[in-house]
Amino acid sequence: MSEFNGILTVLTFFPAVGIVLLLLFNRGGGESAERNIRWIALVTTIFTFVISLIVMITFDKNRAGLQMIDRAQWIPQLGISYFLGIDGISIWMIFLTTFIMMLAVGASFPLIEQQTKQYYVFMLLLEIGMLGVFLAQDLFLFYVFWEVTLVPMYFLIGIWGSKRRVYAALKFFLYTMAGSLLMLIAILYLGVSNETFALPALIAGRDTFAGAQNILFLAFAIAFAIKVPIFPFHSWLPDAHTEAPTAGSIILAGVLLKMGTYGFMRFNLPLFPDASAYFAPAIAILAIIGIIYGAAVAFAQTDVKRLVAYSSVSHLGFVMLGIFALNEAGLEGAILQGVNHGLSSGALFFIVGVIYAQRHTRDIAAYGGVWKVMPVFSVLTLIITLSSMGLPGLNGFVGEFTILLGSMDGAAYGPTPWIYTAFATVGVILAAVYLLWMFQRVFMGPVDNPENKKLRDINKGELAIMLSFLLFIVWIGIAPSGYFDFMTASVSQLVESVSAGAMVALP
Amino acid sequence: MEQLIQLAPLLLVFPGIGVLFNGLVGRKFIENNRTTGEKWTGWFGTAMAVAAFFVAVGLFIALQAEPEEHIVYLFDWFDLPGVGENGFRVPWAMQIDTLSVTMMLVVTGVGSLIHMYAVGYMHGDEDFSRFFAYLNLFLFFMLILVSGSSYLVLFVGWEGVGLCSFLLIGFWWSKREQGAEGKPVGVLNSNAARKAFITNRVGDFFMVLAIILTFWAFGSVEFIPVFDHAIEIFEHSEEIMLFGNTYSIGAVLTVITLLFLGGAAGKSAQIPLYIWLPDAMAGPTPVSALIHAATMVTSGIYLIVRSNVLFEIARASGTTVLGGLTSNDIVALTGTTTALIAGLIAFTQFDIKKVLAYSTVSQLGFMIAAVGMGAYVAAMFHLVTHAFFKALLFLSAGSVIHGVEHGHHHVHEHGHHDQDHVGDSHAEFNPQDMRNMGGLRKMMPVTFWVYMIGTFALAGFFPFAGFWSKDEILAHANNNPGWVYTVVYYGLVLAAFCTAFYMGRQIKMVFFGKPRSDSAEHAVESSPTMTRPLVVLAFLTIIAGLLNLAHFTQTSYENAKAIENEIQLRLEHWLEHSVEAYHLAEEGIINLPKTPTVLQLDVALISTLLALAAIFLAAFVVYRNKPEKATDPDPLERTPIWWMAVLPINTIAMKGIVPAYNWLAYQAAYTLDWRFWHDWFHDRVIRDGFVAFANWLGRTFDLKAIDGGLVHGTARLVRGTANMFGQIQSGYVRNYALAVFLGVVAILTYFIFAYFN
Repeated sequence: MSEFNGILTVLTFFPAVGIVLLLLFNRGGGESAERNIRWIALVTTIFTFVISLIVMITFDKNRAGLQMIDRAQWIPQLGISYFLGIDGISIWMIFLTTFIMMLAVGASFPLIEQQTKQYYVFMLLLEIGMLGVFLAQDLFLFYVFWEVTLVPMYFLIGIWGSKRRVYAALKFFLYTMAGSLLMLIAILYLGVSNETFALPALIAGRDTFAGAQNILFLAFAIAFAIKVPIFPFHSWLPDAHTEAPTAGSIILAGVLLKMGTYGFMRFNLPLFPDASAYFAPAIAILAIIGIIYGAAVAFAQTDVKRLVAYSSVSHLGFVMLGIFALNEAGLEGAILQGVNHGLSSGALFFIVGVIYAQRHTRDIAAYGGVWKVMPVFSVLTLIITLSSMGLPGLNGFVGEFTILLGSMDGAAYGPTPWIYTAFATVGVILAAVYLLWMFQRVFMGPVDNPENKKLRDINKGELAIMLSFLLFIVWIGIAPSGYFDFMTASVSQLVESVSAGAMVALP
Repeated sequence: MEQLIQLAPLLLVFPGIGVLFNGLVGRKFIENNRTTGEKWTGWFGTAMAVAAFFVAVGLFIALQAEPEEHIVYLFDWFDLPGVGENGFRVPWAMQIDTLSVTMMLVVTGVGSLIHMYAVGYMHGDEDFSRFFAYLNLFLFFMLILVSGSSYLVLFVGWEGVGLCSFLLIGFWWSKREQGAEGKPVGVLNSNAARKAFITNRVGDFFMVLAIILTFWAFGSVEFIPVFDHAIEIFEHSEEIMLFGNTYSIGAVLTVITLLFLGGAAGKSAQIPLYIWLPDAMAGPTPVSALIHAATMVTSGIYLIVRSNVLFEIARASGTTVLGGLTSNDIVALTGTTTALIAGLIAFTQFDIKKVLAYSTVSQLGFMIAAVGMGAYVAAMFHLVTHAFFKALLFLSAGSVIHGVEHGHHHVHEHGHHDQDHVGDSHAEFNPQDMRNMGGLRKMMPVTFWVYMIGTFALAGFFPFAGFWSKDEILAHANNNPGWVYTVVYYGLVLAAFCTAFYMGRQIKMVFFGKPRSDSAEHAVESSPTMTRPLVVLAFLTIIAGLLNLAHFTQTSYENAKAIENEIQLRLEHWLEHSVEAYHLAEEGIINLPKTPTVLQLDVALISTLLALAAIFLAAFVVYRNKPEKATDPDPLERTPIWWMAVLPINTIAMKGIVPAYNWLAYQAAYTLDWRFWHDWFHDRVIRDGFVAFANWLGRTFDLKAIDGGLVHGTARLVRGTANMFGQIQSGYVRNYALAVFLGVVAILTYFIFAYFN
């Protein structure tokens, strides 16, 4: 029962070291104290990233189940344990979290000028929460981490956000909270009736609650659907994204949304396989509506940040379509597309942050001809835009194509899965429509607004962040097989587990 | 020879170096010293194109000895072992065969000449090095497109050239001058660029579906395994399992080939997706020549020739749609319609480049019609000759524009102003408007003569290249039975007539008569950097017919064939090694429509006579009267001439579909998503509903039922809770968090008790 490798615990709680350092030292103000605060936070996230790389290096790609398990009794009377583990489904989420956090902290350097200490404490707390969500293998522990992410994000938006920050923060909090309450009830039901909250044990005994699986599926699904967000639960997203500080938006798009898609893969699929197959067409239809609706609504935005926010609705629609194809291509594509979206949209939010910091407006019409004044920045932005658009050779295409490939073989989608694929592929056209329209209006055309002539091109720090994003955008784009290798064993086990438990015939 | 073929990746390396050089340091060179900087960046880019050309020549030589295909494997791209029966594996690999090398030679050969020309043409442009970076990037992607060994790698090039097309059409996105509708030219250029990319994406939509369907039907996306598997299934009359059902291979391939046609229609500007190509003329002229005439737009033809096995099995299976048409018939009819319609539209145009743009659409229609009829060699033959003569025409048109612009500057500087002349005021002067030209043959003799050669080739005059290749397509249509072939034949003959007519009109307007503007009168011949490539292309235009010269007698054909088994020069024999359909036909597996091996005198005579008639007719009818104003709206925008009334595709797209999508998107964004869902539903229904409930709880229920009733203490507690709920809208989330926390504790307590009981 007890097993303790330790590395995942170190990984998860390493940011706490930074929190302690921040709280203990750096009293008083002054320029040097501010600098120390920033650097403590950055170095902490860098170390966390390095630890996650160590995890990746020691990870055994050929093993399907959980690895590097840390497990200990917590509340034995209730069957609650402290249980961390990693497998091919979570490993890229861990990478994404530590990577994005590092860049998000770096991106905050020039942007956060007030209450810096609290800001970075919340950032590090958020990192602990997110890592915990992706590593927890005990439902109760998972729920604790899930809620832990909520509080720092609430404050990040509410304190350091822009004009309507309080409204947005509250909406974010209430929306997510409302969803997670249903999940909490389902978790408690599962844990109490099975006398354990440990996920592997629950999966092994899933037949005992098979009768209630549709309702349990929905209880989990609504919590995750709000987080993803699946249409029509997306209404908190444009507010939260738009009002959040740059780093908040990067983390929201980069990691927090993936907690939803990850939740579907980690809990809904293996715990309630038959319900998953039963609800697959409905979820796929919502996903496709999200793809097209998100793209159309993004096109009409006048606020560049809100445009990127709605593009997430569209992109995450692809991920959901892949997950509920319930086959290997779909799931592997979905995991990778989660990473891709984190990179591309995270980078896009960073880009918006860069020009916002100089011009203090997000109105697309206020820009135009930025390419002329910021050539380096604009070329890099173009590549990132193209990655978001799914240009083959860059990362977005790899994920999208694999998902579409899987969706056409989705047995859960009935005898005509190609209809789903065809409608989803419309999103590929529409992505070009809204992204190019945005790119053209911001970066091309004559420089008419004199304010835009004063823009300066990116500095070394900004360049470093953009190049970090680009490194993986290109790498995944041309050599994704190394990335898929990590997931293959776990995903095929998951697919088998789902098809074994589903009443309908799945491949 | 095998070692020589292993050098194929250099084909991509050279343009890649060019991109990096010009993209990273080119600007520095030019900023340091304009003249030497331009030399360095321009000629470096050109050298990379030439180097790639030499690699292609090397491959050509290597294939002489071993003409069957070679696969050069680089590294794995996709490798998903659990997907499908044998895994989804796509390597980055190049397929070196006679078809891909033919394309490579055209792309790098014409590409090199156009790079050279561009050094002169772009002289003085502030983004000189950026231009060459893009041109090299284009070569890079185009070579991926033609050398990829799978549909997916082809698709990388496919979208990559689309990107370069976007970048180059919008190259002058910062131009501030007023253009049509009072918009800056820069905005118009970027609109055109965006239109091109999005229209191509519509085609790519079909491509993506075709590729995915191909994988699930044949278990691979690599050309050779797909074709082998398809042939095997067809030979054994097996069925294909898809989505839990079985389908005949004919049905599956009909769908796949029609989807490929959709992709080809986007890239090769066929009806109804041709609408982006005329707008694409906003780009610099070398771009129009290279991308929008000679190479990229022929990708669709390449795709279909490459997929000849799939198309021919679809034909052989006899599966028909739309009341008796095979997918090949649909391809052929699409091509014919496009050839005819675009040929008609071309003579309504006043912009020298737009005439050529519609001409390109029309000629691509010829090629698509040819591949639809199974005349793969004829299509490739026309592709190659067209690459030469259309590049020649575009570059010469660029030279004309350059000359007229020079004239315009000259006039402007010397203060000539002649109010009688058309549209010559500085703000509105359009150097591309043929109404501003006339009589240029005297001012620009070299350009005039090469333009004439290009015109003769395009119009199909003996013995210029266009004659031979166009004639082969017409003869093929004439030689095969069935109403589709008859329709195609007469359609294409009519289109050929139109071709000669609009070209006759163009040369009359540009080169003959008297100059119709001061600028034309002061036009000067372009520099040798520009005219030299023109002369080379003119030479190629004259001799390219030799590539697949028709034989006059059957004996001469037989004799030649005996010799040519040794040397793979003649296109027909050279391409035989990669167009698998010819082998299948020889083995009797399929029935391939035959291209006549000997020149069909009647066909040749009719088309030549029609072309001559058309060009003379044009000379008579054009500009006998006073010229119209140069400021007149684009003829396409004007009220319909009869043929435009039949098929106003551009108008439907730009005035119907685009505004409709805009409207829908704005409705979705603001009415549905924002006002209804975001504001009304969330604020009015959920929040206000909750607040009302809390108030009711706190005031009405609390006061009347509880306070007026049992215990005061309880009442106070409830009121407190209710007030707390009421405060949520004021933003104190911690109160709510507390409530949630209390709720959680309550639930937990309940469960704990339940557990211990």
